[in-house]
Order: sequence, then C-alpha cells, then structure tokens
Amino acid sequence: MKKLKVAILGSGNIGTDLLVKAQRSPYLECTMFIGRKLASPGMAKANSLGVRISDQSIEAITNNPDCCDLVFDATSAVDHLRHAPILEQLGKLVIDLTPAKVGQICVPAVNLTSCLQYTNVNMVTCGGQASTPLAFAIGKTQQNIDYIEVISSIASRSAGPATRANLDEYISTTESAIRNFSGCRRAKAILNLNPAQPCINMQTTVFAKVENPDLEKLNPVLQEVISTVQKYVPGYQLIVPPTIENGRIVLMVRVLGVGDYLPSYAGNLDIINCAAIAMAEEYAKNNN
Amino acid sequence: MLSERAYDFGLKAPHLVNRRDITLLTKDIAGVIDLPAEITMIIHAAGSPDNRLHASDPLKVMRTITMGTEALLSSASRLPNLSKILNISSGLIYGSRNTDSREFNSCGQESFSFNNAYIEAKRYAETLCSVYGNQYKLNIINIRPYAFVGPYQLVDRPWAINNFIGDYLNDCPIRILGDGETVRSYMYPSDMSLWILKLLADGHAGQSYNLGNPTPITLKSLAEKIASAMHKKLPVQVKYYQDHSLRNSRFVPDVSKAHNELGLKVTVEIDEALEHTLLWNLSQYNSVKN
Amino acid sequence: MRKVIINDPTLRDGSHAIRHQLTAEQIALYCSAADKAGVPIVEVGHGNGAGASSLQLGESLLSDEVMLSIARNHLKTSKLGIHIIPGFATIERDLSKAIDLGVDVIRVASHCTEADITERHIGYARRRGKEVYGVLMMTHMASKEVLAEEALKMESYGAEGIMLMDSAGAYLPSDVSEKIGVLVNKLNIPVGFHAHNNLGLSIANSLAALEAGAIMLDGCARGFGAGAGNAPIEVLVAVLQKIGYDTGIDLYSILDAADLAEKKILKEIPSIQSTSVVSGLAGVFSGFSIHVNRVAQSYAVDPRDIFFELGRRQVVAGQEDIIIEVASELAAKRGV
Repeated sequence: MKKLKVAILGSGNIGTDLLVKAQRSPYLECTMFIGRKLASPGMAKANSLGVRISDQSIEAITNNPDCCDLVFDATSAVDHLRHAPILEQLGKLVIDLTPAKVGQICVPAVNLTSCLQYTNVNMVTCGGQASTPLAFAIGKTQQNIDYIEVISSIASRSAGPATRANLDEYISTTESAIRNFSGCRRAKAILNLNPAQPCINMQTTVFAKVENPDLEKLNPVLQEVISTVQKYVPGYQLIVPPTIENGRIVLMVRVLGVGDYLPSYAGNLDIINCAAIAMAEEYAKNNN
Repeated sequence: MLSERAYDFGLKAPHLVNRRDITLLTKDIAGVIDLPAEITMIIHAAGSPDNRLHASDPLKVMRTITMGTEALLSSASRLPNLSKILNISSGLIYGSRNTDSREFNSCGQESFSFNNAYIEAKRYAETLCSVYGNQYKLNIINIRPYAFVGPYQLVDRPWAINNFIGDYLNDCPIRILGDGETVRSYMYPSDMSLWILKLLADGHAGQSYNLGNPTPITLKSLAEKIASAMHKKLPVQVKYYQDHSLRNSRFVPDVSKAHNELGLKVTVEIDEALEHTLLWNLSQYNSVKN
Repeated sequence: MRKVIINDPTLRDGSHAIRHQLTAEQIALYCSAADKAGVPIVEVGHGNGAGASSLQLGESLLSDEVMLSIARNHLKTSKLGIHIIPGFATIERDLSKAIDLGVDVIRVASHCTEADITERHIGYARRRGKEVYGVLMMTHMASKEVLAEEALKMESYGAEGIMLMDSAGAYLPSDVSEKIGVLVNKLNIPVGFHAHNNLGLSIANSLAALEAGAIMLDGCARGFGAGAGNAPIEVLVAVLQKIGYDTGIDLYSILDAADLAEKKILKEIPSIQSTSVVSGLAGVFSGFSIHVNRVAQSYAVDPRDIFFELGRRQVVAGQEDIIIEVASELAAKRGV
C-alpha cells in the first residue's frame, strides 16, 4: 500500500492536529508541514515528529512540486483564494478547510465517493460537518421540507480569533451546505459560544419544519448516517433522538473530540479534521 | 523591506515594490534568522498599532512585538556592516492617562492586565533593545511615536480623528463623544518620514526620542476644522455627559530633544495635513463608490 | 439637573412575553405614543434582536423589515434602535438591511465574556455613520474584572457606550454598584444598565446603577419584557423625576403610553411567577421562561428543576435547545 504524500499548509492548531492524524493514518504520509511562522508551536511539534517544515508558505510547494500529491489548506479564506489556482496548475489534490468555498462541498458521510472526481473539495464548517448528515437524512425521508435550522454550541476556549472574526462566513457557509444536501427551501445556522468551565463539548441541534413529519421513516436512515459519521468521528453521538416538539422535528448530537493535538472538548475542530482525513484517505485508496 | 505579508504590501503599493532599488523579503519577523549581509541600517517597525487587534488577538500582537524584536536583534547582532538600528516603540508607554496612581506601580501602568498587552510588550521590547545595545555593542535609537494623520492611514480604525473624517466623507454631522476638551496632536507622514530618517542617520545611540507634533489641539477644534474643510459646512454635534471632564486626556509629545539635538521641526501643520488627508480619502472613497 | 438617557425596548424585550407575535398595529400605536412622550430611543424587533427569528428562539409574526419600516414611519423625534447578536444575525442579511431601513441606533450584543465577536458588526455600523453601543448580556456570569476587559474591547472597536444587561434578573443592588462602578472607572465611554425584575429589584438596581455613574437606563412599558419583565419605564421616569434627574420624557405621556401598552399589547402585566423567581436565582436567561414552561409540560417534569439544571450547566442566552436535552434527561431519570 503506497501512502499518499500530503502537505499541510497552515501551522496553527488545525494544521497541527491534522498532522498528528495524518501521521497516524495507514494511508497518508505528511511530507511537509508549512506555515509562515517558524516560531509557532505547530512548527516545533512537526519538527519533533521528524516532519520536514517550511515557513515559505505556498512557495514551499511551488519550489518543490514533487514533495506532495495532496495539500490540506488550513490557512484562511483569503489565502486559499490565492493558493487554489496555483495548486490546480501544479496538479495537486486540495482539501480546503477554510471558508473559501472554491471547490466541491464535501461531507464524507454523505458524498465521500462522489467527491473523488474533484481536485478541490472544501470541508464546510464544524457545524456543517455535524449537521449536514442529519439534514441529509431528513431530506431523504421527509416531505416538503420548508425549513431546517442548525444550532451549534461550542466551548468558548475552542473558538480562536479566526473563528470569532468570521461568524458571518460560518453562518452562510453552513447554511448553504444544509440547503444543498437536504433540499430544504430555507436554512438558518446559529452559533453559540459558551465559556462554562469545565469546557462544554460541542453540541449541535437540528430543527426541521416539514409537512407531515414521519419519524418512523427518519429513524433507520438517521441511524445509518450516524454510523457512517462514527466511522471517521468516533465521538459523534445522538443524545436526543428525533422527536416532535412544538410542531417541529428536533434532534441533537454531541461531538467528543479524539484529543490528538486539540483537547477533547474541541469536538468542533476535531470533526472537521476527521472529515478532512477521511476524504484524504479516500483519495489515497482510490489511487491504489 | 521585510514583512510576513510582503505580497499584500505589493498589491497595495506596486509603484514601490517594482523599484529596482527596493527588495522585498517575505518572512515572519519572529522567524528571522539570517539577514542579508549588506544591510547597514534597520528600521524596526514590525507590529500593528490597531487597537482593535490588540483587543481581539493580544497574543498575536505580543508575540510579534516580543519574539519579533528578539529575533531581529539576534540576527542583526551578526551583521558585519550594521551601523544603526531604529526601534519604533510607542508614546503610549508613558502610561495610561486615567490611572489612580495609588493602584498601579510606579511606572503608572498595571502589568497584570489584558488590555495593556500592547503597551507592556512595547516596553519589554524597549528593554530588550537596550540590553542588546549594551551586550552586543549595537547602536540602537529608540523612537516613541504619538499620533498621525495622512494618506494611507485606515479611516476605519476607531480613533476620534478617523471618526470625524468618516463622518465628513459620509456627509454626516461630525459627532464628538465627550465634551471635546480631550487634547491630541497630529503629525503628517512627510514630517514623520523625514524625522525618522534623520533620527536614523544622526540620532544618538542609546537615546529615546518622541516623534509627533508638539502643537496640541482639542477634539472640539479638530472637529470644527474638519466640519468646515474644503467648502463643506457640516454641523458639529457634541455628545457630552456630566463628569466627562474627568475623562479628558492629553496625548501630545514633548519633542524638545529631537528639536534641540537634530534641529527637527514640524513643517506640515494641522490645517494643511487635514486638507491633504481629506483629499486623499475623497479620491479613495470616490474610486470605491464607482 | 443630571441627565439620564432612557432606551425603551418595549417592542423588543416585550416581544419575548408574547412569543414574538407583535402586530403591525401594536408597533404603530406604541411608537406613536413613545414618540409623543419624548422617549430618546425606541428599540424594536424580535426579543433576541434583528435576525433572531428562528425555531430556536421563536419565530416572529412579522419580518424584521416590516417591523422596522412601521416603527420608522411612526417615530418622528425619537430614534429607532435595534438589538443585534453576532452568531444569530449577519451583517449582510440583517444589519445592513436594518440600516437601509433607517435605524438610528445599533446595540451590538454578546455574552458577557465574548465581546470580540462584536468587532465586525460594530465596525460596520460605525462605517455607516450610525450610533453604536456595545452590550454585554448575562453579566451576572462574569466578574467585574472580566466585564471591564470585555467592555474595553468593545470600546476599542468603536462602541460609543456600553450597556450592562442583567438578563437573568439575578442582581442585587450591591452587585450593580460594584460592576457599574468598575466599568465607569475603566472606560472612556458612557455606561448604561438594563434591569430585569425576577427578584423584584429592577427599579432599585437601576437607581444603584445611576449612583455608580451609569447614564443610560432601559425601561419598558409596564415592564413588558422577558420572564418577570424589565424596569417599568413609567415608574422609572416617575422615580427619576422625584430624585431630580432629567430624562426628557413627559410624565403624563409616558403614563399614557404604558396604559396603551397594557390595553393593546400586553396579554398580561408582567409579574414575578414562581419560575421567574427560580430562573433569577439560577441565573438563567429570563427569555427561557416560555420555552421551559412548554417543554416542562411536554416531558411532564417540573419547570423549576429544568431551570436549576440549566443554571448548573451555565447555559447562555441563545441556548434554548438545551432545554429539551435537560427535560428529556430529567424525564429519563424519573423512568418516564
């Protein structure tokens, strides 16, 4: 089994956590860990794992195109808009963890194999990864879905300056994924930050307004989609099974993180990374 | 010019980066290890004075200032041809203007304070410069800038003068929060650049110089000047509340050192500075609207 | 005479009390009455602000656009204000449209420890030339030191004043004096207070805030607001007149406005229900009351138990979905 050579662009917390996951994967090998700040903790971690590091940003790849076949971009939306065409020209597979939305939306539990035909996929948002599989199940089993609403609560400590400065982008990106995969007419995404100590785990609630809600039809499809998610996110758990409350379908999931580099309460960051790794592994398996 | 975001600077000022006598180095200041050997002088101005960033990401701000200054000085100490370093600090290090002196230490600033991240980092950087200066026999000149107004300064930074300019551009009444008796001063970029270069060339190593306009102006006068600039006649609205006079602060430099030692003077006073600034902002504003 | 600026969120906080079902007529009537009384700022919208109409918090009868247009047409001298929470409302979808409709005052709110999420909304409203305030919600959940840090962030983003909200109605007057005092000391911009009446202290707390240096207060007609309601504006104006503050509001006209609200808008005059006492003690957002009562019935559990558990979990405003989780857990424990 030949491992797929991956580079990670972005040496912050997300990139570093991805690094740990990539090194653990039997299908992936991280050949370059790239950022702009040599002095960051992520760089030190990569170095300690014996992974080649660079502070040259995208130039590390353009100067050495054979170093990798797939690139995880965990920089920023603005930076990814610049990186995407360069990486496309170099013929690299790209998994975009920013809200840039240049490529195909990828939610592994829902459209993993169909994403293989694309060379740039984006991983939506944390709330999007948690809720889209559920919205998909609703979309598959219910009639006339008027409206789906997704509320995520995350620990304050797991939301860094980048998240806080980009709430509006989070909301619109999550909403478009929900609409896309459920076929609903309207979607709304809400994000709550809670500073409680000890830190709360990520929790996502989905409300749906549908014609003649049918929970019997929903439950088996929901169970199936949840099991699929659990294959790459073991800490994904249904905590309130579907019920009808106040004229709407409601269900809730909790995401406990694996705790690789990020703490386990940061399930929101973990789920998007696990999804990214799942997609990369699929590319790797497909190559062989 | 060394910057982590040299590419973005290039987009903003292509007329500068395309010059053959200017080389861009893309590097995070905190990751600087080796600098080109031909460097003879350094102006260390890495860091953002945007107080919104200080509030939203103080860690990043502190790291850039502390680790950045350390990395720069360390690399600079191994440069064979280096003669001078100019450290751009901040006039804010003199202390907060609303302190109860019984509460804080003798420097007039509370250090265990999240909101003083920028100021404390700048003070640490000054001390670091002094230590490197002594240990490595580096000639370091320390500059403490005050406030500026001119082209290229982002008007959306929430300082009083920017608020007034913003109101002017929007044809809104110029609104002053407070009784308008807060005192400031503003230096124009051409004076700023001249002073910096002169201080770099002829300033005395191991000394600190204040950089700014010594002529004070109250916010009320400033607002009135802007309100009637270039034939506009916008009303000035003063929104003040009782007891606000206690809030009034003064941020005006004593520049006698720069003046006495190097003959430096302010050549662009506030009226001219405002006119240039407003014209430049109007041209940007119009090009955005179209 | 010392001045106090009164902001009237009858048509916003009050929305919580009638499940956000304010009608066009009610908005028009109250706005006219408040305008006549000389209320400085009239705040209108869904209970959780612009863009908050949702299944999570309750859907409003009228869209933000309709509510604000009506209000705008019926306010001649009073300013029209909105409350807005990033994470619920976006700049493009909600804030920019509200400003286009003629809103004068924008109050950007966050949970009391999360002020940095307000940077962009405050910045946008400022760039549009509007009057912008920062609002800290559920402030009983943070120490005075933390509140000062967060308020200073909002000040650095360009907020021209900070409102401290006692969203759960959990404060005693001494808490208010302490916290408002620290903010007044550390900030260069004015400070205000928004009271809730869960422990019967809304007027007393408002006065304590003034004594500590606040110059802005919120009050609603008959206290029409979430849970046990807010400080009643007509009582507040009367008390302030007695003490010697200048609110700019005409006493008889505001009494008329309150009478009108009682007759035409309120379903019942806010009173301190048992669940409100409990939510005040538990430190849970007053707006949860209606949801907790409904869910408690569905799951056959005691609403007071739900409140205490929500308090133990330190839930913040906007986390109404947790009510369902808690109720189902309590029901499960009972073996239902």
